[in-house]
Amino acid sequence: MSRTAVQPIGSAVLESTPVVQVLSLGKVIDDRPILQDLSFEIARGRYVALLGANGAGKSTLLKVLATLIPPTHGQLLLFGRPLSRETTAFRSRLGMIGHGAMLYRDLSALENLVFFGRLYRVADPTARARELLEYVDLARRADDPVKTFSRGMVQRVSIARALMHEPDLLLADEPFAGLDAPSRRMLEQMLQRLHEEGKTIILANHDIEQSLALAEQALVLRAGRLIINGMTAGLDPDAVLAEVSGS
Amino acid sequence: MMAAFRQIVLMTGKDLRIEARGRQTISLVVVLGVLIIVVLGMGLGAGRPVTGFGATAILWVAYLFGGVLCFEKTMAVERNDDALAGLLLAPVDRGAIYAAKLLTNVILMFALAVVVTPVAILLFRFDLSAHPLGFALIMALGMIGFAAVGTLFAAAVSSTRLQGGLLAMLVFPLSLPVVIVSTQMMRRLFQEGEPLGGTGLATLLAFDVIFLVLSWIVFELVLEP
Amino acid sequence: MPPPRRLLAHAYWILTAVLSAATIVMLLTYTPVEATMGPVQKIFYLHLPVAINTFVAALVVFIASIGYLWQRKMWWDDLAAAAGKVTVLFCAIVLLTGMVWGRSAWGAWWTWSPRLTFSLILFLLYVVYMMIRPSIEAPQRRAAISAVYGIAAFLDVPLVYLSVKMMPDIHPSSIALAPEMKLTLAAWFVPVTLTMAGLIATRFRLNRRLRAFEQHQAMTTETPAAANYMGETA
Repeated sequence: MSRTAVQPIGSAVLESTPVVQVLSLGKVIDDRPILQDLSFEIARGRYVALLGANGAGKSTLLKVLATLIPPTHGQLLLFGRPLSRETTAFRSRLGMIGHGAMLYRDLSALENLVFFGRLYRVADPTARARELLEYVDLARRADDPVKTFSRGMVQRVSIARALMHEPDLLLADEPFAGLDAPSRRMLEQMLQRLHEEGKTIILANHDIEQSLALAEQALVLRAGRLIINGMTAGLDPDAVLAEVSGS
Repeated sequence: MMAAFRQIVLMTGKDLRIEARGRQTISLVVVLGVLIIVVLGMGLGAGRPVTGFGATAILWVAYLFGGVLCFEKTMAVERNDDALAGLLLAPVDRGAIYAAKLLTNVILMFALAVVVTPVAILLFRFDLSAHPLGFALIMALGMIGFAAVGTLFAAAVSSTRLQGGLLAMLVFPLSLPVVIVSTQMMRRLFQEGEPLGGTGLATLLAFDVIFLVLSWIVFELVLEP
Repeated sequence: MPPPRRLLAHAYWILTAVLSAATIVMLLTYTPVEATMGPVQKIFYLHLPVAINTFVAALVVFIASIGYLWQRKMWWDDLAAAAGKVTVLFCAIVLLTGMVWGRSAWGAWWTWSPRLTFSLILFLLYVVYMMIRPSIEAPQRRAAISAVYGIAAFLDVPLVYLSVKMMPDIHPSSIALAPEMKLTLAAWFVPVTLTMAGLIATRFRLNRRLRAFEQHQAMTTETPAAANYMGETA
């Protein structure tokens, strides 16, 4: 990882510190450059869509932002501070929904949430878990093992899990995949509500039209490079599609 | 420090709760262990009592195979639905994740031993009455060392597609010192009546400490590419 | 390989061959035949230097493994793989020469004596090391797991040594060495060590070339993005 120093911008004023700052970020896996020379900032409270074709690097970028994998080059600052020994502390402020539910199928929804709550040292995890199960409309199934749930229900428990510790930054990797229309609706509304509460959201998504409708800002990747970084209001879905597929 | 300890207990508790639900791992492991003892017993012991030395070796074969299966399964729990990613996202020290898995594995191995050892004693007419505590101590130390190595490599290979046999191949040769020392100590203890010696215990302890420390340090590195 | 380096390599191997020939001649003409065992005892002069060099090769594996985990540069992995191959090869020689010695000294091809058992376990440890690589496809994963095992195996060596010492040793062997014997032994270290180092270097260079070829392949072919450790595509 290169040691180029980047001054955290506006670190004195917490409110205006961008939640995510990325400078010349690169990630090489097995000799293939998956991410190349990415530089962007995400302001607090933004709702950002991360777009790109399969293999463009969306999942990898999210994993780097989630501190799950370290970048190979460049710098990443979260909440104004670079990753270092403090990585463990950062994690309390971010939540992620991924391809996998990140749940234990043999345990009940409630047990899963309480487990993660305790891991994040949430105060009164059981109460918070029940509250979230209400929020995702699964309170009646709280004590049923997750393996008995449909895909949509599993996704809702997974979202509840991600929200247990009230993260400031929520990362979502294709959360709509495999959901039926009502579940998709519910998820869209949930994300919108979180956005209104001031959370920063980065959503990796296949559906360009849906993403441009939901989010304020769009980052478009192609072959690991950032080709578009702009507000969604000024973007035309067809143009974005053209960029994504590289035509 | 205390926080890490609490998280370890939390994660081990979670593993044991899952295990208690399905009892999948422990039943497979115990049945495998007993089968091994029986097969070996028919081949080696039928009729004449096997020496304490021989019985220990036979027990180790059961523990080795049962153990490897156990380590694979406890790690597999984390591979389903990216559950491990959930742990890695949390503010948890990676070493604590290792310690929790190790503790789970040690507990399950002890459960295996509790069932399989009496079966072996029965089938081989092995007389432990002289030094039951010595036997327990030697086997406990050995199992901890074996679990230390097994937990580390189970995590390392669980993300690779070719699992079966790979874990056993990695762990068996590394664990041979444990098997040799414990069988030799048993021989001295039961056949020659020597009290528990310094060298053997020291070697077992050294094995445990070396691999516990190595695993703690290196665990994070085997979890990511 | 550029011409000067090739010349150097050739010179190296010619020197090693000459020294090997010289020491063999020395062994046959100068070194006295040992009283109790006869001519077969002379295999000892091969056995001991090869045994020491096996440790050195294993040490290289250890250091290269640490190097990889620390720096994540692939050439450490290539070095570890090269040294691993040499360790297995040399360990096989130690085992075989030990068995020949044992047959001559005690009449059996195999006994569970500490020394033979130790050689056997060491051989198994590093054979397993070589088996890891073909089992894993992703280069970084392969390198990381091999490195962890490479470290573990080396740390295991003293533990194996201590454990086999507890095994009953029915046939202790200690031979008093006459001055000529000591000289022969010292002389034999030279070609054996040169061979060990040379083999590692040669294999290392080959590994580097293979990897450069693979990297070139990876860059230029249209393949789906590499699967990351969670088994998903980027």
